[in-house]
Amino acid sequence: MNTTVEILGFTREPGWLPWAVQYFFLIGISAAAFFISLPGLAWRHPEWRGVSRRALLAALVCGLTAPVALLADLHQPGRFLNFYLHPNLQSWMAWGSFFIPLYLFGLLLYAWLCLRPQLAGLAREHEAGTRLAKLYRALAYGGHDNRGAIRVAAVLAALGAVLVLLYTGMEVMVVRARPLWNTPLLPPLFAVTAFAGGLGMTALFEALSGHRDSAPLLNRWAARSQWAVLALLAAWLLSAFTGIAPAAAEALASLRGSVSWRVTLGSLVAVSVLTLWVARKRRDSLVLMALLALLGAWLLRWALIMGGQGIPKMGATFRSYYPTLTPDSALGIVGTAGLFLTLYIVLTSFVPWDESTQAAGAAS
Amino acid sequence: MRTQPEPTRRAFLAALPAVTAGLASPAAASQEEVPRWGMLIDTRRCIGCQACTIACSMENVLPEGQFRTSAATYAVTNGKGQTGMSMLPRLCNHCEEPPCIPVCPVGATFKGKDGVVLVDADRCVGCGYCVQACHYEARFINHDTGKADKCTFCSHRVEAGLLPACVETCVGGARVFGDLNDPASTISRRMQAAQGKTSVLKPEAGTRPSVFYIGLDKELNGRVQGASATEMMWRPNQQGA
Repeated sequence: MNTTVEILGFTREPGWLPWAVQYFFLIGISAAAFFISLPGLAWRHPEWRGVSRRALLAALVCGLTAPVALLADLHQPGRFLNFYLHPNLQSWMAWGSFFIPLYLFGLLLYAWLCLRPQLAGLAREHEAGTRLAKLYRALAYGGHDNRGAIRVAAVLAALGAVLVLLYTGMEVMVVRARPLWNTPLLPPLFAVTAFAGGLGMTALFEALSGHRDSAPLLNRWAARSQWAVLALLAAWLLSAFTGIAPAAAEALASLRGSVSWRVTLGSLVAVSVLTLWVARKRRDSLVLMALLALLGAWLLRWALIMGGQGIPKMGATFRSYYPTLTPDSALGIVGTAGLFLTLYIVLTSFVPWDESTQAAGAAS
Repeated sequence: MRTQPEPTRRAFLAALPAVTAGLASPAAASQEEVPRWGMLIDTRRCIGCQACTIACSMENVLPEGQFRTSAATYAVTNGKGQTGMSMLPRLCNHCEEPPCIPVCPVGATFKGKDGVVLVDADRCVGCGYCVQACHYEARFINHDTGKADKCTFCSHRVEAGLLPACVETCVGGARVFGDLNDPASTISRRMQAAQGKTSVLKPEAGTRPSVFYIGLDKELNGRVQGASATEMMWRPNQQGA
């Protein structure tokens, strides 16, 4: 048997930068958080009313931040116009350029319809004639709590959210050149980790706004989502070890000699198990579960997207990605976090997200 | 009569007058049958000098540290402990079934009638999806333009009746470029002479490359199970050019 040493090789830099990880992370969380907002806001389930409001806030903050990261990954944001001028409908990415605005339009419409009574209440609270009162009154547009319209908007946004979750998974899955990505388990894995992250983000917002009574409910669902994540990871490993899925087997074979990949895969499982343990054992705690769930969702995307691009398609050389202090790397991640924080501050400063304000707005 | 000369260096020099005449009457080209360009690489002749790598970089004004073609070099040791060097020149395979085309969200990547896969830089958005889809790591995002970049078979030179820069500069004559549709072309004759012993990279990918190899080691025709002397790799960003 021959042994081979690559003396001189040429590795490629990643074509998708950390911007892409941020996009996949945020848009997935947004779509999941939107679904978490439905029981309380569309169906008015009493147990979910408060949680659903913070979930809607999470969906808005993440949903408005995500496309900025995506535009930044194009190197020149104005290029996005070509997606609409010359769409190639064979490409999942081209479909994504239509699904994103559909989802965001539906989400904004749904959020506005849900917030109208509250905005009307705020207009009354402020001194008549002030700019803020006028703005709230204009935004409330009568302040009517139209359940039928909310449900219609919810259907539109739900369609957009499903399509966004579908295309983000399929876009990566169809890349046959990367066996690690080329598995039918990838779209459900992205979707399930998005839900885990969505629950984590909602829990974080609950904790930040001092609503801890929802902790048992969120921890119950967080535990379920982590069981699903672990089941999908186990299914992938099983398909790779048994050879049922040739691409998964090939991916595992390519990673076998890599210590860093063993650490990565171990970390993914460990974070998921730890989140599960925390969710089950500390049912009244929110922050730790939230941070672990968010870490797990982000880590999976980082490992698959940035790590996956480092596995050689040709030759023998792995190319590890190390974040640098440049706009397309670590500063991009910091910038995305900055935009996220700004939107959170703006939305929580001008629109209270607790139930008492909603009740006051609806009653008056 | 073809507008392009017989694509070997010797034939190229011999055909220079014809090139001049051809350039003087471009209208005649439209009446010719369309060629299907391909490349045959005889790995036994490659000495790993990277002249092709540099010639391509100079011809196509590539950013520092980015290459459209290169020659990977391997030390292969057999069961008897004997070690030999193997070279694997690589470039875009200009596949018959290119996976980079369907994924492009804006249709910027296309395949010409002559079989050459090209990128419309005006349309490309630099999303990098084609970079992911390529089985051969032939594509990259150009640092200067922020758009997808790859080997074009030096189409600007071929249209002018010249050979691709890598072929013209190859010291060992390892690269043969020509019309696969023309049974009398050097590439067709060389492939016939090889009596089916030519191969392509990653045949299992089903992309049907237009770049063929003679003497290609099966263990090197895709991802290589072996060690990497990464400390010896030339990485201009880390080690300086």
